[in-house]
Amino acid sequence: MMAIYKYIFSLVTFFILVTPLFSQDTEPEKEPWKITGIKAGMDIGRFSSYLFKPEQTSYAGSIDIGFNNKYYAVFEYGYSEINLEKDTYNYYSNGTFWKVGLDYNMLKKYPTDFLGVGFRFAQTSFEHFADDITISYGHWGNYTTSTPVVSHNAIWLEASLGVKGELFKNVYFGWSALIKVRVNGGKDSVFQPYDIPGFGNAANTINLGANYFIYYQIPFNRK
Amino acid sequence: MTKNPLIICFFLLAFFLVISSCSDDQCNLDTDTILNTEILVKDATLVSSKFLDSLSIYSPEWTDSIHNSGSSSVNYYLFLSPFSDTSTFILTSQSMLDTVNLFYKRKLVLLSQECGFVTHFTIDSFNFTTNNIDSIFILEDEITTDNDGHIQIYF
Repeated sequence: MMAIYKYIFSLVTFFILVTPLFSQDTEPEKEPWKITGIKAGMDIGRFSSYLFKPEQTSYAGSIDIGFNNKYYAVFEYGYSEINLEKDTYNYYSNGTFWKVGLDYNMLKKYPTDFLGVGFRFAQTSFEHFADDITISYGHWGNYTTSTPVVSHNAIWLEASLGVKGELFKNVYFGWSALIKVRVNGGKDSVFQPYDIPGFGNAANTINLGANYFIYYQIPFNRK
Repeated sequence: MTKNPLIICFFLLAFFLVISSCSDDQCNLDTDTILNTEILVKDATLVSSKFLDSLSIYSPEWTDSIHNSGSSSVNYYLFLSPFSDTSTFILTSQSMLDTVNLFYKRKLVLLSQECGFVTHFTIDSFNFTTNNIDSIFILEDEITTDNDGHIQIYF
């Protein structure tokens, strides 16, 4: 757990130090805190897996609450399932993940759009197993077996750089480039998970990725 | 309506860059878990009768056997049984016969997504008949895809 706190402390410190660098005014504005928008989003990038990673089915959604069009509290939730059929085994996994964090908007000219950075704390719980495992053993012939169902938890941190633009009234389109650093869990020297829901390739400690979201801004407190 | 067309272009470019990644689906790792079985004949009678030349190894569960292909070859590369925690091997030559039982633990390991699963073994103990076998030594009890097991059988 100390390692987790160390990562969180490092990230928070980083954002506290970096945030003033993105300010465009020398005089900080004394705006009162107010909620400027609530967006509900759906990760549409995950639909690309139907074409490029057909063994995976996953869904993710998000809620973000904007404060002064500058800071956004973000919560994401998702589900991922793997059905992988190989020549010598079949592999199954499923699990859910959630992420919570903050985004910081660096745009001043178009304050309802977004160009900024963010960070997330993320956690997943998932289980996996394999069956129809066939191994050829010389004179012994073929050996067919299966594994028990194994449960895992994993925690990781994400930093992102992204954009979000209003395409239509209250409808936003955005993407962000992500770097994900696993802090804990999701490793098994005997039966390594194929994929960690929300994190990606379980063999890596650091994964790069991208999110593609479409958002609907709830018409709330908006002129 | 569309205030930032640049954002859309950036989005599309990033999308295609990310989805264009691909991976090699070939297994490039060694998947065999081998027990190197070294046969050493020290008994003068057996040496003179060329005991090693006609040595065969088989298991009661096999449908065939392994024959020594030449007097210089004294190493047999065997697989342990993945079906149980015991493997029985029978060593026979010139109508003489000995049985070796190896007792071990098995561990099913996912080697990689491309190569699939393999079984790793750890030899715990053994016993043998002493018609001709003098002694057996286990030099390496861990059998993995990276590490061959090694036993010596002295006649």
